Amino acid sequence: MTTIPEAAIRVEGLSKRYAIGRAVHGSFREQLAELLHLGAAKRVEDFWALRDVSFQVPRGEALGIVGRNGAGKSTLLKLLSRITYPTSGRIEICGRVASLLEVGTGFHPELTGRENIFLNGTILGMSRQEVRQRFDEIVDFSGVAQFLDTPVKRYSSGMYVRLAFSVAAHLEPEILIVDEVLAVGDAEFQAKCLGKMDSVAREGRTVLLVSHNLGALRSLCTTGILLDRGRLVTQDTMGRCIEAYAGIKNRYADTAIVDRTDRTGTGEVVFTDVAMVSGTSPDGIQASGSDFVLEFELHKKTPEPNRRVLVWFQVMRDEEVFFTGNSELYGPLELSRPHHRVTCTIPRLPLFAGRYEVRIFLMVDGRRSDYLEHALAFQVDDAPFFPGGRTPTEKDGVLVDQIWLVE
Amino acid sequence: MADAALPVETDRIVITADGGGTGLGLGELVRYRDLLVVLAYRDYRVRYAQTFLGLMWAFLQPAATLLIFSVVFGRAVGIDTGAVPYPLFAASGMAVWSYFAYVLGQSGTSIIGAQEMIKKIYFPRLVIPLSKAVVGFVDFGITSLLILGMMLYYRILPSPHFAFLPLFALAGILAALAVGIWMSALTIRFRDFQHVVPFLVQVGLYATPVAYPASLVTEAVPRWAAVVYYLNPMAGITEGFRWAILGTAPPGALSFLSVGVTFVLLVGGLYYFKSVERTMADLV
Repeated sequence: MTTIPEAAIRVEGLSKRYAIGRAVHGSFREQLAELLHLGAAKRVEDFWALRDVSFQVPRGEALGIVGRNGAGKSTLLKLLSRITYPTSGRIEICGRVASLLEVGTGFHPELTGRENIFLNGTILGMSRQEVRQRFDEIVDFSGVAQFLDTPVKRYSSGMYVRLAFSVAAHLEPEILIVDEVLAVGDAEFQAKCLGKMDSVAREGRTVLLVSHNLGALRSLCTTGILLDRGRLVTQDTMGRCIEAYAGIKNRYADTAIVDRTDRTGTGEVVFTDVAMVSGTSPDGIQASGSDFVLEFELHKKTPEPNRRVLVWFQVMRDEEVFFTGNSELYGPLELSRPHHRVTCTIPRLPLFAGRYEVRIFLMVDGRRSDYLEHALAFQVDDAPFFPGGRTPTEKDGVLVDQIWLVE
Repeated sequence: MADAALPVETDRIVITADGGGTGLGLGELVRYRDLLVVLAYRDYRVRYAQTFLGLMWAFLQPAATLLIFSVVFGRAVGIDTGAVPYPLFAASGMAVWSYFAYVLGQSGTSIIGAQEMIKKIYFPRLVIPLSKAVVGFVDFGITSLLILGMMLYYRILPSPHFAFLPLFALAGILAALAVGIWMSALTIRFRDFQHVVPFLVQVGLYATPVAYPASLVTEAVPRWAAVVYYLNPMAGITEGFRWAILGTAPPGALSFLSVGVTFVLLVGGLYYFKSVERTMADLV
């Protein structure tokens, strides 16, 4: 106990493997069948969520973690938080840890705000005594003082989140691990949360932060690590990590769909291409309010026909704007040939001007067959959406077509 | 400083693939005792939230069972309970048994019920089934009041062995925990046990001397079957509990078998739980 270790967190050769393609919670029958080798052996695939990751976080440093979805960020935080355990490797943490993988863990809708503060506080590792000491501060910060004795099921979602975050914000750990909790609440409350995080970092506590809010990461964190497909790409200043992250995103977007390797799914049926064939392709610019057409090329690798195939896509602008698929209108497709082209037309595209991204999904018989993020990006240009010629100027959400009647 | 009260060993954590040694980590439970209390309070509050009768339910359920037992076994079958009035005889058995049944029923699915928490935060998972054992005290207290009321009504004094009551009550709590811990861990691994628990509770009511004295069974069957009968931890504990209150037949030598089984189940359960604990977040 004479030497104080420099690093608050030391991660060495950390790996985490998940078995996919099999129901994890078994039943006796499955276990028996496995023991007796009955039936067809189920295909079990190994998926390495993290592979040989090593890094250190010096005491008092705020470290940001970036990477695409599925890069291993959440797995890393779960391992650091002792929610799940590594397949191999080692983590050493020096200091009292609090991890916030969500706000309001354990909140019960039937209990009052006051009761939930105690419940959530003790779940986060505080003693009742500590919660009592910080109770007034927590209530002040949340701004829901007059609803303290109301069951939280009657709270608006905004109030709920504010109360939940306030409890978390009053933990006083030496090491704070935070996953994307800043993306909650209204803009004003988010600013308050960022301020709180900033003061935590300035107080000399060690902070580990995962966020898709690159601006917040840049301002809160001094250093960062970049993960990609379970591996550590770089540990550097936060700015350089964000640059490298943008590079990775673009590299995937520039590769033809058929050659992309960053896909998940069983691969029975896969996308070989997706294109926007409306608007002024090839530059991929679409006018707001004009018909929008996406064309998907599918390749069925198995010979059996009549698979129940669903094509879904999600249009993103930082967050999801909308998510739709063929089953919404027509039910599943039946594919008979190895190659098919599927076209989706959205009349009068209800999107504001801006840059959008598309994620694409293929489901076969209820299983995910193929999934790609950043499959396509397109630009929407301002155009008069309504016949009156005026286009609303809000930057988020969608434009809604409407008919008014006055009688 | 509030933090100063925390033990030092929490300040350095090493996480590896092969686990944290052979200890059960029970010391950590002490640090999380407040969570245990708060979770029990939550369950208690939520259980009767928005019910019209509220806590009355905790009284009505055993009272109704008792009424049926008194009519069927007391009057119709005419079970001989010696100097003790049948309703009181049955109530003393019901007190321990319904605690056991409640804790078993609740803790069996407790880990699955807490999966949202388990996937988001670390705490010793044992806190969850343990908190169910604490909530059960409410029911236990209510049935105890029921017994007290009946003793006043029948003008029956507690037996001279009353001092042994806490011992048998403790044994009942440990038995409930032992089986509850097993079931909560097994249900995570094999969902089949969700169906096993209600079955155990149903069968156990008749395989335990709740509505009848154990001698009724043990005198009618061969010795080996009596041994099997007492493998049920609650068999000896219920007899002992009743003896301590009412001075009925003293627990025989076989009752020690029940206590022994309880102990083995508890220690085994703790180790099994420990072995499953680390994979819980991946399994639920």
